[in-house]
Amino acid sequence: MSIAELLWVEKYRPRTLDDIVNQKEVVERLKVFVRERSMPHLLFAGPPGTGKTTAAHALAHDLYGENYRQYMLELNASDERGINVIREKVKEFARSRAPEGVPFKVILLDESDNMTGDAQQALRRLMELYTASTRFILVANYPSKIIDPIQSRCAFFRFTPLSRDDVVGRLRYIAEREGVDYDDEALDTIYEISEGDMRRAINVLQAASAMGKVTIETVYKVVGMARPREVREMLKQALSGDFTGARNLMRKLMLEYGLSGEDIVRQVHREIFSQEVNIPEELRVMIADYLGEIHFRLIEGSDDDIQLSALLAWLALMGKRLK
Amino acid sequence: MDKKIPWIVKYRPRRVEEVVDQDDAKRLLREWLGQWARGRVPERRAALLYGPPGVGKTSLVEALAREFDFEVLELNASDYRRKTDIERTVGVAAGKRPLFKKGLLILMDEVDGIDPRVDEGGVEALLEVVKSTSNPLVFTANDPWREQIRPLRELCLMVEFKELSEGAIVSLLQRICEGERLQCDKEALKLIAERSMGDARAAVNDLQAVAEGYGRVTVDVVRALIRGRDKSLNIWRTLNSIVYAKQAWMAKKAVTQSEVDYETLITWLSDNIPKKYTEPEDLYRAYEALSRATLQIARSKTSGEWSLLPYVFDLIGPGITFARTSGSISKEKYGFPEKVRLAIQLKTTREIREKLAEQLARNTLTSKSTVKNEIIPYLTIIFRNTSNPIIAARIAIGYRLDKETIKFLAGPNTENVLKTIEKIRKAKPEEVKEEKPETKKQSKTTKEERTAKNNKAKSTGSLDEFLKRS
Repeated sequence: MSIAELLWVEKYRPRTLDDIVNQKEVVERLKVFVRERSMPHLLFAGPPGTGKTTAAHALAHDLYGENYRQYMLELNASDERGINVIREKVKEFARSRAPEGVPFKVILLDESDNMTGDAQQALRRLMELYTASTRFILVANYPSKIIDPIQSRCAFFRFTPLSRDDVVGRLRYIAEREGVDYDDEALDTIYEISEGDMRRAINVLQAASAMGKVTIETVYKVVGMARPREVREMLKQALSGDFTGARNLMRKLMLEYGLSGEDIVRQVHREIFSQEVNIPEELRVMIADYLGEIHFRLIEGSDDDIQLSALLAWLALMGKRLK
Repeated sequence: MDKKIPWIVKYRPRRVEEVVDQDDAKRLLREWLGQWARGRVPERRAALLYGPPGVGKTSLVEALAREFDFEVLELNASDYRRKTDIERTVGVAAGKRPLFKKGLLILMDEVDGIDPRVDEGGVEALLEVVKSTSNPLVFTANDPWREQIRPLRELCLMVEFKELSEGAIVSLLQRICEGERLQCDKEALKLIAERSMGDARAAVNDLQAVAEGYGRVTVDVVRALIRGRDKSLNIWRTLNSIVYAKQAWMAKKAVTQSEVDYETLITWLSDNIPKKYTEPEDLYRAYEALSRATLQIARSKTSGEWSLLPYVFDLIGPGITFARTSGSISKEKYGFPEKVRLAIQLKTTREIREKLAEQLARNTLTSKSTVKNEIIPYLTIIFRNTSNPIIAARIAIGYRLDKETIKFLAGPNTENVLKTIEKIRKAKPEEVKEEKPETKKQSKTTKEERTAKNNKAKSTGSLDEFLKRS
């Protein structure tokens, strides 16, 4: 056994199309591209953790061999929002000639549904400009957010949510190889919690195995711990009317976990529909409504600390009215 | 009395000891410039000195330069702000050798005055210089938290200068009175000091104006001189005027006449409102006003429509005053904003998280935001698990995580994880060295899977057991 350990999502990622055990239809069609060494632009759509990005890498691997990454430009629209960055990088990459024996180079644009409408229009131009030398693979959770002109230029691949057997089977395979002590039901629980998202399922397994035997209890414990306890605590304190206490927790979340205002808003959003937060049902909806407004203000670029303070002050007021 | 030389120049401190207060700043800067003087380039090649005006920023730099025998090249940022100017001046100076002395120090004032719209590319050009300069570079700023100089902040050694105490200014004024053989009432000096609000330069100038105009410095003269001036309000007074304003125009005037800019004022309001307002209704309305104010600022920044700004003043002035309808005003004192104190610490945490997200995003083929939301939380669980630090240690080795990153992930469990890594390193030095997670990923994975299959080892258990097995 080696000393060094990696994240299992990296260690057990399928490297070739043959390694991918599910998404059979998709994989069969992709293999045809490899055999014929020709393909159109592709659009991979489907829920998170269903193997879209993995399939794109496996496809490139099968096309170009071990060192495939030198023929592929990987961009992530949620990290590089500016179309100018994308344009520059695409231009530079497309300009270099494809080496002998390589029919085209691949540009992988991950989370492409995060691009703004303007950026997508610009992307459409890029796709036309560089068709001769490159192929785009767009990966998206929600294909409806991709503008029609781009969709119509791509072959569409739908990735379906993974089945219970797919997920549990893979978890068992990993657990066996890693010598993890586990209960069978615990793997079922992981599947249910992760909602067919393989990445989350594997992460939960790895974290749970670090706690000892993987049981239903450890799985729930891990999932609970993955969200900082302080979020719920902050929510409770605000609703009890303790604004200052709640704000101290908010700052602790930012400081210790490095969370941004948007991160915290998202986590609060998850909490407000939890039965462990004891509030009237209609208040949950009201909080969601105001949360959406605060989220919008954050996206517009206004100050994290102040927006969250406003949220907490509002919650404290709601809490007072409840009493 | 020599009227030709302004006292502010005549009595400028020559030695570091003569600079009033600012002990932290002295220590930090002396250490930093000392490194340069010994011929070693410090990790941060530029220093950003910040604090209110007239508290000794430039004086300290000049005194220290004298101490280490450095020439000082002074540039005012308001003269050279555009990209080409900066490249032509600062950029050239950054590569020069000193003419007469041991070293050359470049001092650039008022760097917070750079306007991102008018001076396009200015900050970027400065960043380039900071990264490559072979001479120490010192910036000064009154307000270091302005968004436009954020990238600069991240590259610079941040040195804070505090507002001077009234006592410190009075004794400075007394020294000058003695030097000028002036008769000065102590009460009058106190009045001047109070009026200066911690700004030594303003106090010395006022003293000279009074002394030269009237030949003596008494309470009456000082009072007479000050009366009729349009006083700018200091931050405490601004806060008070807003909280206690009787009519909307008063609150508005408090904002527009304040010497602090609106963004600083918002930070102070945000931390002080809960000290003054106690009714949840009032508190909510006040924060809603602040929230809308920052939204409005963001809008005017992105659109470049500065005509939207006056509404900000309405919201943070009268908007705060009249947020209070029912409750009374608490007697609690105003305080220095936590947020400013936390900002630097927060910056470090965010940087570490960002760097880790970037590394793992490459390795796990996903976006930084997915790493932050879907991977780092689970890593945190593994690293904070006190009962079994071996897995955390192995992952730290696998990704070659540095100490800061381990600390970010492990929190209170940091020592435990670090010790385990140390033990593994001692037991298996050759293996730990070999690991190159990014380049050898492919082959290592298969090897790893093979060995794991063979010995079916449990990943939990004692460290000794683990080391024996591996």
